[in-house]
Amino acid sequence: MRSAIATLLLLPALAFGQAKEGEDGKVSNDQPDRPLQMPPASTEVKEALDDFERFRRRGAWERALKALYSIPEQQATRFTDGADGFIIPVARKRRDLLAALPPEGQAAYRLFYDAEARKLFEEADGPSELANLERIYSAYFVTSVGDNAADRLGDLYFELGRFDRAADCWLAVVRGRPDTDLSPALVSLKAALALFRAGRRSEFEQLQSELSDRYRDETLTVGGQTGAPAELLRRLTGDEPMPTGAETPPSASADAGLDLARSVDAAWQMRFADSVEAGMTPAELNQWETNPLSAAVPAVAVDGTTLFANYLGYAFALDLKGGKMLWRSAPFHHLEVAAMQDQARALDPGRFAVVASGGHVWTLGRDLKDPNYLAPFRLTCRRADGGEVVWQSTDLSDYAQVDLTGPPLLAGGKIFIAGKNSANPQQQQGPPQLIVLAIQPHDGKLLWKTEVGALRQGQQFYYYGARDTSPLPRLVFRAGAVYVDTHVGVLARLDADSGALDWGYGYRTDPIQGQNRFFFFGPGPTQEPTTASSPPLPFGEAFLVKGAQSDRLQALEPNRMKVLWERPIARSARLLGADDRAVYLGGPEVGALDLKTRELLWSTRVPGGSMDGRVLVRPDGLWQLTPRGVFEIDPKSGAVRRIFRGRDLGAAGGDLLLTDDWLVAVSNRTISAYPRRGAGGDSAATNKRASNE
Amino acid sequence: MSKSTIAVIAFSLALVGVAGPARAQYFPGGGGGPRPTENIEGFTVVGKSAVAAKPNLVEIDLDVAASSELTADAIVKYRDAKRRLRDAFGALKLDNVSVEERGLLVDQKGMMNPNYFGGFQPNSRTKTEVQLTRKLVVKASNVRQMDEDGLLQLVGKLLDVAQDAGGRVGGQGNFNPYYYNPYAGFSNGLIRFVLDDFDKLQEEAYEKAIADARARAQRLAKLSGVTLGPIVAVRELAVPGDRNFNTGNQILGSDDETPRKRLESSKFQEIPVRVELLVRFETRSDSENKGRAGGQ
Repeated sequence: MRSAIATLLLLPALAFGQAKEGEDGKVSNDQPDRPLQMPPASTEVKEALDDFERFRRRGAWERALKALYSIPEQQATRFTDGADGFIIPVARKRRDLLAALPPEGQAAYRLFYDAEARKLFEEADGPSELANLERIYSAYFVTSVGDNAADRLGDLYFELGRFDRAADCWLAVVRGRPDTDLSPALVSLKAALALFRAGRRSEFEQLQSELSDRYRDETLTVGGQTGAPAELLRRLTGDEPMPTGAETPPSASADAGLDLARSVDAAWQMRFADSVEAGMTPAELNQWETNPLSAAVPAVAVDGTTLFANYLGYAFALDLKGGKMLWRSAPFHHLEVAAMQDQARALDPGRFAVVASGGHVWTLGRDLKDPNYLAPFRLTCRRADGGEVVWQSTDLSDYAQVDLTGPPLLAGGKIFIAGKNSANPQQQQGPPQLIVLAIQPHDGKLLWKTEVGALRQGQQFYYYGARDTSPLPRLVFRAGAVYVDTHVGVLARLDADSGALDWGYGYRTDPIQGQNRFFFFGPGPTQEPTTASSPPLPFGEAFLVKGAQSDRLQALEPNRMKVLWERPIARSARLLGADDRAVYLGGPEVGALDLKTRELLWSTRVPGGSMDGRVLVRPDGLWQLTPRGVFEIDPKSGAVRRIFRGRDLGAAGGDLLLTDDWLVAVSNRTISAYPRRGAGGDSAATNKRASNE
Repeated sequence: MSKSTIAVIAFSLALVGVAGPARAQYFPGGGGGPRPTENIEGFTVVGKSAVAAKPNLVEIDLDVAASSELTADAIVKYRDAKRRLRDAFGALKLDNVSVEERGLLVDQKGMMNPNYFGGFQPNSRTKTEVQLTRKLVVKASNVRQMDEDGLLQLVGKLLDVAQDAGGRVGGQGNFNPYYYNPYAGFSNGLIRFVLDDFDKLQEEAYEKAIADARARAQRLAKLSGVTLGPIVAVRELAVPGDRNFNTGNQILGSDDETPRKRLESSKFQEIPVRVELLVRFETRSDSENKGRAGGQ
C-alpha cells in the first residue's frame, strides 16, 4: 500500500521531469521549430550511435564497434548534436567516441580494425596520401597507426600553410593518445609551432608552459637545431610577433587622435540625394521621401585614396582628396521611378554591399527595375580606375539559382559570400539552402560552394511594399577558417581552403513563423524596428556572437569548441566593438557590457538609436553619425562628450569611416569628409589603410 | 405549483411594482440643454462668457522607456536614460525650467492590443522582455511675459536638449495606426501651451456669464410681458479646466495623470476661459406684481 502511494505521488514528478526538447536551453539540430538545420545525419546513423552506446555500457565491444562502423561513409560528413550546443560531423563524433573508449574497448577496437588501418597507412603515398591519412585520422585514430597518421597529416598541413589544421592533428596526438610511440616532446613542439602560426595564443601559451616544465630535460633536433624543446620553440618563433590569424586591416583604434572639439566645415561633400531629387515636383518629392528606399545609406569601401560606393545598385568612385567623382555606373536621375515599384520597395537596402582591393571593386546589388520580386542579387567585379565591368555572377553558370546575400568578405586572396540556393518549391526541390561560396576575385571562378544548412522558414509573401527584413548572414575570416553567423540560430566554421564545414554552434533564436495571413497594403502589424545583423566579434581568441533574432550573447572559443559564457540580452541589441574592458552594444541605445562581471555598465540613447550604421569604436571614444550630428561618447561612462553637428543634419544617420586624413560621414543624402584634426602627426601616416571592414 | 415557485413569482411582481416609481424619479444628467417636455416655470437661459489670457506654461512630453531580457539591464537603461535627460536640463541652469515625472509603468515589451486588422496573433512562444516606461514633462514657467522671439528661443533650446539627450519628444512612441483605440488621442504636437493660473479669470468669466444670462432673460421677459424674478436654479454646462469638457467626453481611466484644472493649446495664443451656465429665473406676471404691491 505504501509503495502504491509513493508511486502515485511520484507520477506527476516523473511526468514533469520529461522536459520537452529544447526546454533546458540546449539547442538541437533536429528541433523542428529551428529556422536552420545543418545537413542532418540520417535516422540510421542516430540509431547506430544509440546502439553503440547501449552495447558499450554492456561491454559488448564487438557489437558496439560494429554498430559504429555500420555508418555509411557518405554519412560521415553529415551533422549530429555534440556537446555544449555544438553541432558536429558524424566523423568527429565517431572519433570522440572511440577516443573515450576504456582500455579494454580500445584493445578490442584494435583487434578488429588495426589491419584495415595499417593497410590504409601503407597505401598513403602519392596522390592518395592526404585522403588516406584523413580517413585514418577520422575513422581509425585509436588504432596503433592512428597517431602516426595524425602526425604525418600534421606535417602535410603545416607544409601547405594550413597551420590551424596541423595544430589540431598534433594536439589530437598530444591530448588523445598518451600511449603513442612518437616523442611527446616533439609532437608538442610541432603543435606549439603550428598554434603560434595560427595565432591561437592561449593554447600556445599552455603548450609552451608544458614544454618548459614537463619536457625540460629532453633534447630535440628540429630544423638542424638541437636543444631543449622550450628553447627550440623560442628560437623557431624568434622575435616575430604572434600573428592574429585575422586578415583584417589594422584597426583604426591603433591610431591616435580624432579631434572634433572644434567646429570644422566639411572639406568636401558629395550630395547624391540632390541628384535624385532634382526636378521633382513637390508631390513627387513627398512620395519619394515616404519611400523607405529614400533612407538607404550607400555601402562604402575605401581602398587607397579612393572611396567606392554602392547606392542601391549604382556604383561610383570618389577621390578622397577632393571629393571629385571619378566614375559612376549610371546616373542617379529617375532612380525614384524604379524605387517606387513594389518589388523595389520590398528590398532591404542593407543587402547592397561593396568591397575593394588592389585595383578592383566588387559590388553586390540588384537592378531596381527588375520586375521579379525574387530576382537574385548579383556580384559584379569592376576595374577600380574606370568602373568597367570585369565579370558578374549573373553571366556565370556556377551562380545559377543562387541568390547572394550579405556583405562579401575579401580575405586570404578569395571572396567569401553567403547565399541562398533558390530552390523552386513548385519543382519539389525542397527547402532553400543557406550556402557559403568562395570565389576567385578577378575572374569570378567558383572555388567551392558549401551548404551550411536548410532554411526551414518558408518564403514569406511580400506585397505592396512590405520589406524583407530577414537578417543577413555575416562572415569573419580567421586563421584559415571562415566563420559565418547565419543569424538564424547557427554559427558555423568552414575551412577557407576546401570549404569543408567543420562544425556549427546552435544558439537560441526566434522559432520559425507560420504564414497564417497574407499581409496586404503595408508592412503588417509587427512594426518593431529591426537591428542590423552584426558579424561575430573577435575578442581575444574568442568570438562574441549575438544573433539578430536571439536573446542571448555568447562568448565562444572556436578552437577549443568551448562556450566561455552566455548571457541574456535584449533581442534588439547588436555588437559594435570591444576592448579589454567592455563590449559595446548598439540597438535602441548604445551600451557597454563589462566583460568580467557581464553587467551592463551604462546605456545612452542617441537620436535615432543605433539600430544600424557603422559606429567608430576606439579606446578613446565612440562616434556615431545620427540625424543630429556626430555624437562622441565616453567609453567609460557613456556620457555624450560632445556633439559635432557637421553638415549632415537632416539626414537619417549612417556610417562613419576613419581614414588617415578624414572622418568620412556617409548618410542617406550625402558623403562628407571632415579633416581629422588629430594631435601630433597622426594625419601624416601613410594612406595604406582605411577603415574598410 | 410549489411554495418556492410562488414565492419567486411574488417577489418578481413586487420588483416590477417598485421599479415604476423609481424610474419616474430618474432625472437624466449630462450636458444637454433643457428638455422641452420638462415642466419649467420661469425662464431658462444659457449664459455664456469667455475671458482670454496668454498661457503661463510650456510643456514638453518625453518618454523614457527601456526594455531588456534581463530586468537588471532594463533598470540600468532606464536609470541612465532618465539621469541623462535630467542632467541635460539641469545643465541649462534655467530657473523657470523643471522636469516632472509621471508614474512608472512596468510592462512587457511588444504588448499589443489584439484588436487590430486581420486577427493576427503574435508569436506567444517568444520570451518576455520587461519594459520600464515613464513620462517626463519638461515645464517652462512664466512664459506669459515673453515675446515671441524669446519664447521660440527657449522652446528651441528645450527641444534640442531633449533630443540630444536621447529623449523621444512628442510622446505617442508606441502609436500604431493599425490598432484601433477609440480612446487614444491623435495629437502629435511637440509642445503644448498651458494656462493653469486662471482662478481670477474664472471668477470674472462666471460674473460675465451670469450677467449674460440675466440680459437674455430680461429680453425674454420684456417680450413676454412678465417681470423677471430671482434666479432659482443654475447648472454649469461648461467649466474651464474640466477634462470632460476639454477632451470631448473621453473616458479617462485611473492612469490619467494630467492635472485636472488646466487649459491647453497647441498654439501660442490667448487661451479662452469659457463658462456656460444654464440659469433659471422666476417670472411674475404684471397682475401678480400689482397684487403683491397692493397687499403691501
